Amino acid sequence: MEASNIQILTSFFKDILFTHEQKKAFLDLWEECSFKQNELITEAGRIEKYFYVVLDGVQAIYLLNQKGEKVVIGFSYAGSPSGVFDSFIHQKPADTFLEALKPSRMLALSRRDYIGLFENHPAFYRWGYQFFQEILFGRLFREVELLTLSAEERYIAFMQRCPKELKVIPQKYLASYLDMKPETFSRLRASVQY
Amino acid sequence: MAKLLLTPENQIQRLNQLLNAVENLKERSLIELTDRPHEKSWNVLEVLEHLCISYALYEEKIQKSLNQLGVESEEPWEYRPGFWNRFVLEGQRPKGKKRPFKMKTLKKFEPQLPKAVTPQDAETVFEKFKESHIQLKKFILASRNRQMNHQRIPSAIGPIIKFHLPEAFEFLICHMERHKVQIDEIVSSTT
Repeated sequence: MEASNIQILTSFFKDILFTHEQKKAFLDLWEECSFKQNELITEAGRIEKYFYVVLDGVQAIYLLNQKGEKVVIGFSYAGSPSGVFDSFIHQKPADTFLEALKPSRMLALSRRDYIGLFENHPAFYRWGYQFFQEILFGRLFREVELLTLSAEERYIAFMQRCPKELKVIPQKYLASYLDMKPETFSRLRASVQY
Repeated sequence: MAKLLLTPENQIQRLNQLLNAVENLKERSLIELTDRPHEKSWNVLEVLEHLCISYALYEEKIQKSLNQLGVESEEPWEYRPGFWNRFVLEGQRPKGKKRPFKMKTLKKFEPQLPKAVTPQDAETVFEKFKESHIQLKKFILASRNRQMNHQRIPSAIGPIIKFHLPEAFEFLICHMERHKVQIDEIVSSTT
């Protein structure tokens, strides 16, 4: 595995101390995958096979509402986890799509190997405790923002914290994530400083 | 009805759901798969065979249209059918558990399975169904980021109805959903 990929993985699973042998076995579990722009990584109705860590590119996770419109739930990008996690864990058909909005490279871990990490290395439970806590707080924070901030405030808060690679994806995905019309997003982008 | 918007994502999601539902039917016994509620009714395998026949009548035409498609577009296509084709699609789409506009099946769509169906015959039907409808999904995916400038496809129900690719995909999926309702009816009345 390339040194830069190893660095992304070890920083994602920081605080886990491996012996030399364990680290080699751990790195061997991951498979690098590439996706073209607009390629569907996971389709709604299919079972998610992998837990991903993103090397580069941007991916959106979205579902279709009753009108058939895409409703964006979140994004992933370099250094972040990706995949349709509920489908991955429960092995049930996904309700959401995962799409590469930019050409993407990701490291993929199968479900068997994901479960094996927890079974074979108790340190992963500690990692999982931190990881899921951060995810939960992130989602709660987003819920509060959606429920309490105006469209302009949501736009500013998001643009201030979002990584630069997210700023170049099609506006309609960002607009949907911020629960506003693409026209509103476009107007705010033209008129609001952040 | 005026707002009917076709998207490849919606079609892929529904197609996956149908593929999953048919995959689950494999768990049923041969008796269940070949039982019929009444003499003139089709059994489950005959319905699946009928869907394979219907798909096969479009396969070559879809492939030909795909070859004509223009350059890549930045965004996946979104398509609003015109008045007449909306009517045709909505006529095919089941409404809940009801199948509107029931009609007699034309001879060319009639499933022809052996009288005494073997487990091997059943497996062949399931394989054929899966293979054809995974190919249909590949077609939808192949069209997804292309511009829809191609000659319309004459429908298998008569040349008076012509489809653009998104409409042909939608018609086949609505047709499958319609027959999925029929399969549910057969299964619930025979088990």
